[in-house]
Amino acid sequence: MLAAADRKLALWNIGVAYTAFLIGTLAGLLQVFIRNDRLELPAWLDYYQILTAHGVLLALIFTTFFIFAFFISGMSKSLGTFGPKVLLWNWIGFVVMLTGTVLATVMIVIGEASVLYTFYAPLMASPWYYVGLALFVVGSWIMGFALVGHYMKWKKANRGELSPLFAFMTVTTIVLWVIACLGVVATVLFQYIPWAFGWVDTINVELSRTLFWYFGHPLVYFWLLPAYMAWYTVVPKILGVPVFSDSLARLAFVLFILFSIPVGFHHQLMEPGISDFWKFLQVVLTFMVIIPSLMTAFSMFANFERAGRKNGGKGLFGWFTKLPWKDLRFTSIFIAMAFFIPGGAGGIINASFQLNEIVHNTLWIVGHFHITVGTPVAMTFMGLTYWLIPYLTGRKFSNTMKKLGFIQIGLWSVGMLLMSTAQHILGLLGAPRRTAYSGYNGHESALEWFDGILTNHVTMAVGGSILFLSAMLLLYIVIMSAFVSPKAVEPDEFVEFPLAESDKRATPKFLENWWLWIGMAFLLIIIAYAIPIAQMIQHAPPGSRGFITW
Amino acid sequence: MTKKKQEHEENLKGTLISVFFVGFVIVAMWVAVYLMYLSQ
Repeated sequence: MLAAADRKLALWNIGVAYTAFLIGTLAGLLQVFIRNDRLELPAWLDYYQILTAHGVLLALIFTTFFIFAFFISGMSKSLGTFGPKVLLWNWIGFVVMLTGTVLATVMIVIGEASVLYTFYAPLMASPWYYVGLALFVVGSWIMGFALVGHYMKWKKANRGELSPLFAFMTVTTIVLWVIACLGVVATVLFQYIPWAFGWVDTINVELSRTLFWYFGHPLVYFWLLPAYMAWYTVVPKILGVPVFSDSLARLAFVLFILFSIPVGFHHQLMEPGISDFWKFLQVVLTFMVIIPSLMTAFSMFANFERAGRKNGGKGLFGWFTKLPWKDLRFTSIFIAMAFFIPGGAGGIINASFQLNEIVHNTLWIVGHFHITVGTPVAMTFMGLTYWLIPYLTGRKFSNTMKKLGFIQIGLWSVGMLLMSTAQHILGLLGAPRRTAYSGYNGHESALEWFDGILTNHVTMAVGGSILFLSAMLLLYIVIMSAFVSPKAVEPDEFVEFPLAESDKRATPKFLENWWLWIGMAFLLIIIAYAIPIAQMIQHAPPGSRGFITW
Repeated sequence: MTKKKQEHEENLKGTLISVFFVGFVIVAMWVAVYLMYLSQ
């Protein structure tokens, strides 16, 4: 078991994560009913306000706090108990991050920041919203650096040795996060805050969107890499096999540092002001990410096949039936992975220059991020939650909880299939995203979109309601595991932290040469961004004043 | 040598076919949307 102080830190992070999850999912439920024209909000509450809350609280707050809880637990387990300085800085980071979260959330709740999750200018929120976001990022950096400090202490004590795989992956993710956040910090500090406080009159919209997406795409990988960490290090342990290949896992992770950042333009393919050459270059770099993604897919299937064969599976696919399907920890993550197959494929479509024209401003995109961050990432985090909280609290995870867990992931899968399939197809037909309910002035073509069995508002609302039910069930399991379930007494009642053995004897040392990977990352970033950003500043379009449309 | 050989001789044919299946899904979805693009 981890030291009490480390457990407390991780549990506080989980507590904030699930508080955000509660408010965020409630906002999601309201949204599907508004879009179904079955709910009218009171005058003080606006659709775009709850849309902002849904995006920010789930995609940013829930994920980040949960990720840090996972990092803290895994780093303490694989590198040893935190020293007083690491603990102190982690707490400082946590408080700063929490302060930012509260400030930004209050601004959304009081109706001062209905700018959606992407906070695109020239929509202008209260300046305090941007201050909240800045504090959130700074807090996450402090926590990240504290964990890197813990890692460096271990490296100093174990000179020349490769770090444990979990620690390596944690540091990779933090490196990616810090480099990615440079974009959002730059735009928030130097563009949004002076503009929102009225120190300057206008904002360079194109530059702000570019800096946002410089951050926004690797943000996706900041969510995804911790899920991959669970896939690479936790799943094999549950399956009873060692990590398939330590070198492959490390190489895949460093490739994500290289190819997840200089690619933000694929979110801006429909925008004027960026020449086709730079868009095309970043599309090519985006496609490079397919390599570590398929390396990961290969590793996962190899884990399954080795484990299934070990359990007596014969023939080409006999191993599939021999997997531990009755183990909630495995099945939840397996479903998460399965959702990522169409999710990832959809991502390649989004990033393809011309195909983006079909899907860009449509509900397809909404469907896409619900089967990427909304299921592969979120359900992996659920799969971790089932054992991580009892592991940290020393409570039992009873058979009743396991059964409820299966119902929970089943409901999430069905709800998400209904909702995201409807969103994908509606998007292909042309239904727009980022809008409240619209009757489209009774236009025939638009109304036809919603005529199908799958493609209608009711399907989305049913899917969304099932998802909310699943979310509430999860919160019940969280509360039981955190506060109510009886304490474990017998050795077999304690829940373990499943962390697989990883044979690093044949792993090349250069994979942990951070200067090499950070250097290459910056080189690619400079190649992909230096000239277009310089052009955006030098030949800046007329700046825009702020707009408050709500 | 023997251990190394054993490691390399693990039967991972199912894995290879499964990854090809993932590749197939990617290509099929992409082509489907590409055809939509051409038809619009």
